[in-house]
Amino acid sequence: MEILFAQVERLKDAAPAESLSLDSVILGEQFYFFTVVIMWLIHVGFMTYETGVARRKNALATAMKNILTIAVVTPTMYYIGWWIYGCNQPGFPPIGPNSADFTSVTCQTGIPWADVFGPNLTNNINLVFFLAFLLFSWTTASIMSGALLERVRLSAYLVLACLLGSVVWMLDAAWGWSAGGWMTLRFGFHDSIASSVVHGVSGAFTLGVLFNLGPRIGRYTRDGLSRVIRPHNIHMTLMGLMLIFTGFYGFYAACLVIASTAFPGWANIYLNPTTLGSIAMIITFGFAGGFTGGYFASRGDPFWTVSGGLAGVIGVSAGADVYAPTVGYLLAALTAVLVVYAGNWIVDRMRVDDVVGAVAVHGVAGFLGVLWVGIFAAGYPTGLNNVQSSIGGQLLGIATFVPLGFLSGWVASLVLKKLNLLRVPLEVELDGLDTAEYAPDIHVPEFAPAPDMFIEPDGERVPAEGVIADAAREVVR
Amino acid sequence: MPAIIDSAPECISSDPGSEAARVDDSADFILQAPYQDCAGIMTFGPGTTWGPEGAGANGAYYAVTWIGIVFMVLVLVAWVVYENRRLLAYARSRRDGLGR
Repeated sequence: MEILFAQVERLKDAAPAESLSLDSVILGEQFYFFTVVIMWLIHVGFMTYETGVARRKNALATAMKNILTIAVVTPTMYYIGWWIYGCNQPGFPPIGPNSADFTSVTCQTGIPWADVFGPNLTNNINLVFFLAFLLFSWTTASIMSGALLERVRLSAYLVLACLLGSVVWMLDAAWGWSAGGWMTLRFGFHDSIASSVVHGVSGAFTLGVLFNLGPRIGRYTRDGLSRVIRPHNIHMTLMGLMLIFTGFYGFYAACLVIASTAFPGWANIYLNPTTLGSIAMIITFGFAGGFTGGYFASRGDPFWTVSGGLAGVIGVSAGADVYAPTVGYLLAALTAVLVVYAGNWIVDRMRVDDVVGAVAVHGVAGFLGVLWVGIFAAGYPTGLNNVQSSIGGQLLGIATFVPLGFLSGWVASLVLKKLNLLRVPLEVELDGLDTAEYAPDIHVPEFAPAPDMFIEPDGERVPAEGVIADAAREVVR
Repeated sequence: MPAIIDSAPECISSDPGSEAARVDDSADFILQAPYQDCAGIMTFGPGTTWGPEGAGANGAYYAVTWIGIVFMVLVLVAWVVYENRRLLAYARSRRDGLGR
């Protein structure tokens, strides 16, 4: 071992400073590049997951919605989003000369005509770092996608995806997920792997949209009791979630700042030290605890067991840079339990037809994650001003992000609703979006579809056709 | 010379290298020499040495960027209009078919 260290020291002495610096830049460029590649799996997963949840008559439209998220969020993020992130970190009002100075430098790299926002021989990092954020943006928009399934217009979803993925999340990230953000510099807000800035805000935004969108036809009885609309392929759904989980390792890694010439080589987004191993450990224990909590809280329901894993990870993301593995494991289990109850409450009591439980899994778990840091990881100096993480700072974050997400989703979807551009016409919803938008039963046409079944509130399975026809008559009336 | 438009920044020179360098197997020098005065090299980009403080290139790149932004907005609007027409046409045909 001593020989190895001696060898490293000799190499360090031999390498000129310029060469070391170039090596670290190239290392950082490659690191973020591969996180981007891995994060594509999140979108493969979202597509697979949501397509499985949808009924067969909506399967292709569901997949197309996920794919086209990339088509619209990419340019909006490039032209608008990176500027919002780089230039709005001081918030309202600017909080001091130091943060303003830092932001002005960051701001210059974020405007679309910056010379580092294209091929530039003196800057290897800006583009690939932007791409990592772009993948976060796709994720943020896709979180909303599943909740709106089977009745939202593709174009309405795309407009909302641009707003959420390139504007709202960029603004909240500027404020609370950057080295120059006012929430961290002034209040020590700590959300290292984006519990709330990605997941919580998406969940709140989605809830706002769902209020205006309304439930699928037949989702509730005339008395307001909840029916179950069965997914057309639960195996596909579970596989999709497992793909998302795989991509999450890339997501977690991309949330770190690589600092290969300074001990310990890694920092969180606030530039405070951590290690890649720490966050990989917490994500793994987050899954373990989340699956466990989801399984027992849902009494073995496969959908909620796997969703519990996702909720568990989201619940421990905010403090993943500092949590002990046991703390991560237990908090993930607790988060998953609470999310299962919250998800059922949202659907059954609030009568919000959230098809994939996104509001609970992402919104509730995301904000719980921020809260957990205030309770279980207080006292960590966070950000350039070294303000300690605290329950007050975390509550301030929640109080800022819940209305930011909810109101922007609610207002934008209300405008679309007033213009009759939010929801597909009744006839389209009845026949299925695939039939109206693409072709009748293009999904595995050689096999005849099995009739859709609903599960009534008393547990009885009934053919969906009659229920939907009755519900549609109610809507027309 | 490019047939239609030269979009490369003027910081890129056209140094053909030398036969001696090629014989000495200094390929790296020959490939990179024309770029040695450059930082940004994107098409129509600001670059670093084109015009006074890059102003000429900046002007071109503003125009290119704004074309991209306008295209992005038009695409979103077109998406909304196109889908709206398709969905309403489908709904109308179904209502006509059902005699409603």
